[in-house]
Amino acid sequence: MPEDNFSPEDSIQVIQSMIDKTKASVADNSFYFLLWGWLVFVACVSQFVLKVIVDSRWHPIVWSVNIIGIVLSIYHSVHEERKRRVRNYIDECLDYLWISIVVSYVLFGLAFARIGWENCYTFYMMLYGLGSFVTGRLLKVQPLVWGAIASWALAVVSTFTRFDINILLCAAAILFSYIIPGYLLRKKYREQH
Amino acid sequence: MFKDLDPILHSQLRLAVISLLISLKEAEFTYIREETNATAGNLSVQINKLKEAGYIEVIKQFKDNYPQTICRITTAGFKAFEDYVKSLQTYLSVKK
Repeated sequence: MPEDNFSPEDSIQVIQSMIDKTKASVADNSFYFLLWGWLVFVACVSQFVLKVIVDSRWHPIVWSVNIIGIVLSIYHSVHEERKRRVRNYIDECLDYLWISIVVSYVLFGLAFARIGWENCYTFYMMLYGLGSFVTGRLLKVQPLVWGAIASWALAVVSTFTRFDINILLCAAAILFSYIIPGYLLRKKYREQH
Repeated sequence: MFKDLDPILHSQLRLAVISLLISLKEAEFTYIREETNATAGNLSVQINKLKEAGYIEVIKQFKDNYPQTICRITTAGFKAFEDYVKSLQTYLSVKK
């Protein structure tokens, strides 16, 4: 378009089309939801089987899967950072949100190691809800928001139930707040690119 | 009264660059080139004009041993874009 003929109406069109393009620039966050979703889900089910069915006192050992999650998350984030050509404000907000959630997980772990693990799942489910809710609202992915609400509801239920049942409630919470929305998030990202 | 449109922004490619950067924290030169469908030479010239006007900052660095150019909108750029949009709104409402 020659600049002499560039009208104010054309300006509006250019602004609109460029802003629309940046909407698709948000990074694909589904990897972390699916990685941690499946790790926690498998760990919860395994812990339930070991503790309740097998009656093994070694049941907490299943949580060593966290090491796999940490290694894969670091590897993936370094790899993605190298590829990243654009950074928007939503990505930055999400980075800060998830850093604060990871710090909270670690601090909860230290606190429960001192005061006992009896009610740990209630707090972990609250954190699942927090991460999914804020991510869902920022990315406008409604299933993450519904998953977060389900996770919070299960956290409330877990205050009335025993530790053994809470393990299964935690598995359900991660299924609703991470795994199912994680697949929908991936689908949405692939449709946009 | 209709205000004159900022001549720095009232150009298709420069306006496209600023409109992209307005909702991004920062973007690589190659990303801007792809999204605006501009040639590297033309984009480079227009980015320099925006930089000289103080509307964007351009950071040249190395990433994995390759040169990388990153563009970021400045506070003056935000203000200029805001004023430009206000002028457009005035113009369009006068036209109605």
